[in-house]
Amino acid sequence: MKININSKDYMEYLNKAAVVIRNHKDYITRLDAETGDGDHWVNMNMGFNKLLEQKELLEGMSLSDMFKKIAMTLMSTIGGSSGVLYGSAYLKASKVVIGENIITAPLLIDILTAKLEGIMERGNAKPGFKTMIDTLHRALEYMTEAFHSNASDEEILLAMKKGATYGMNETAQMKAVKGRACYQLDKGIGKLDPGAVTMYYQLEALAEYIIEQNKSNV
Amino acid sequence: MKKLINDSNKVVSEMLQGMAIANPNIVYYKDFEVIARKNKTEKVGIVSGGGSGHEPAHGGYVGKGMLDAAVAGNVFASPSPDRIIKGIQEAHMGKGVLLVIKNYSGDVMNFEMAKELAEMEGIAIKSVIVKDDVAVPDSTYSTGRRGIAGTIFVHKIAGAKAEEDATLEEVSRVAQKTIDNTRSMGMSMSSCILPGVGKPGFVLKENEIEIGMGIHGEPGIERTNVKKAREIVDILCHKILKDMDYTNSEVAVIINGLGGTPAMELYIITKEIDEILKTKNITPYKYFVGNFMTSLEMAGCSISLLKLDSELKQLLDAPCNTIGLKIGD
Repeated sequence: MKININSKDYMEYLNKAAVVIRNHKDYITRLDAETGDGDHWVNMNMGFNKLLEQKELLEGMSLSDMFKKIAMTLMSTIGGSSGVLYGSAYLKASKVVIGENIITAPLLIDILTAKLEGIMERGNAKPGFKTMIDTLHRALEYMTEAFHSNASDEEILLAMKKGATYGMNETAQMKAVKGRACYQLDKGIGKLDPGAVTMYYQLEALAEYIIEQNKSNV
Repeated sequence: MKKLINDSNKVVSEMLQGMAIANPNIVYYKDFEVIARKNKTEKVGIVSGGGSGHEPAHGGYVGKGMLDAAVAGNVFASPSPDRIIKGIQEAHMGKGVLLVIKNYSGDVMNFEMAKELAEMEGIAIKSVIVKDDVAVPDSTYSTGRRGIAGTIFVHKIAGAKAEEDATLEEVSRVAQKTIDNTRSMGMSMSSCILPGVGKPGFVLKENEIEIGMGIHGEPGIERTNVKKAREIVDILCHKILKDMDYTNSEVAVIINGLGGTPAMELYIITKEIDEILKTKNITPYKYFVGNFMTSLEMAGCSISLLKLDSELKQLLDAPCNTIGLKIGD
């Protein structure tokens, strides 16, 4: 199989991610209520639903314009901290896909790297701060390593998912440095960061979507 | 949940509509949740904002001598950059715009993003970040100190400077000077209920209070039993005065109610503070007593002290005319 994604495929992937997020309402809300103010799921769900409402418009765009539009939509619909962070991620990613119509394995790595940089710059945060960054950072680390050891595209995607799982689980032992969880006396230790979990859902959906898409095409 | 509302999804927009009805000098921009001044003059524009639920902050401080625009987010959540850009555009009168941001992760990120996007439109912008709450340790690594009621001093002084036809650099300088000389600390006696959530985020027992609690119910320094007003003021002042030396200076004082505290109690607090300050050789110059930066219906108060010099004193005394604060000529 090969990673070979156009704008229309990308929207199908977002559709899949939106369903996973929608199905985890109680879990995410409970996680967020323990360390934050309990609105993370509501806001993320609203943001992804808004993207799906514009599916037809978005899938007709170039990758770069589509990412830019996704950025602005998530920024204004999710709101709060997550909105501006996802907005920054997609804005930065829109720059690395200028002139491109197809996402291949190396371009996917560039896109995720740009997203990670966008989030880290905007949030003034690093891996280890108990945030969505930890999931994305590990996912990239694992998939880049696979890519450089000449793994197949499927192996690269599975490495991405494995890294994302690892990064998400690592947040349980971290102390929050940013956001509302950092005012808690225990800094959220022992609890997963809800932002790291919703980031995981998106990466998991991405890996699974591309692998399934290839299987159904055979 | 018992609240005087129509629809929990519409509390912000309906509240801002009401504010614009109550003050004929301001205008409400629907969908952007922006309140802006009607009568604009050529000067540096001052913009602030943040989550709703802290009224009269910030829409109630829009008017002559204070803010030119205020941008509201949902209850306790930062407004998004597109709303903030609208506020910047409404406040921009050709001489640049100063953003007054309270130090919360969400507010800082959204305002800075908006700042970058508006700069691309060619608007000169500077920003200051208010972090007056001494209950939280300051830190360059972490989010650090929160911005609370001391923000009102920044609105007042930056607003007064802008009315003097000062440059953006000058207005930004006095705003930063005000921040550097302001310290605050609060305490809470009860929780508050977010309209969209319907139940309190935390519970304080009948005889329990929390020292140092934030304006969104963030944990403070310690939970303890109810104390006399004198003891509470002692604890709050002690922490503030330990953080900054106010000895032999004149200070402006905000005694801020969090929304559910009777004026009677705020005046009792005022009397106690006055006694403490005088024994510490600190001269109270001016008191502001009332609900300036609330947390919905939370009971409790915060104390803010601003160390004055002749420049800050003159700007503090300059006239202003807003819903939340009026100072005559």
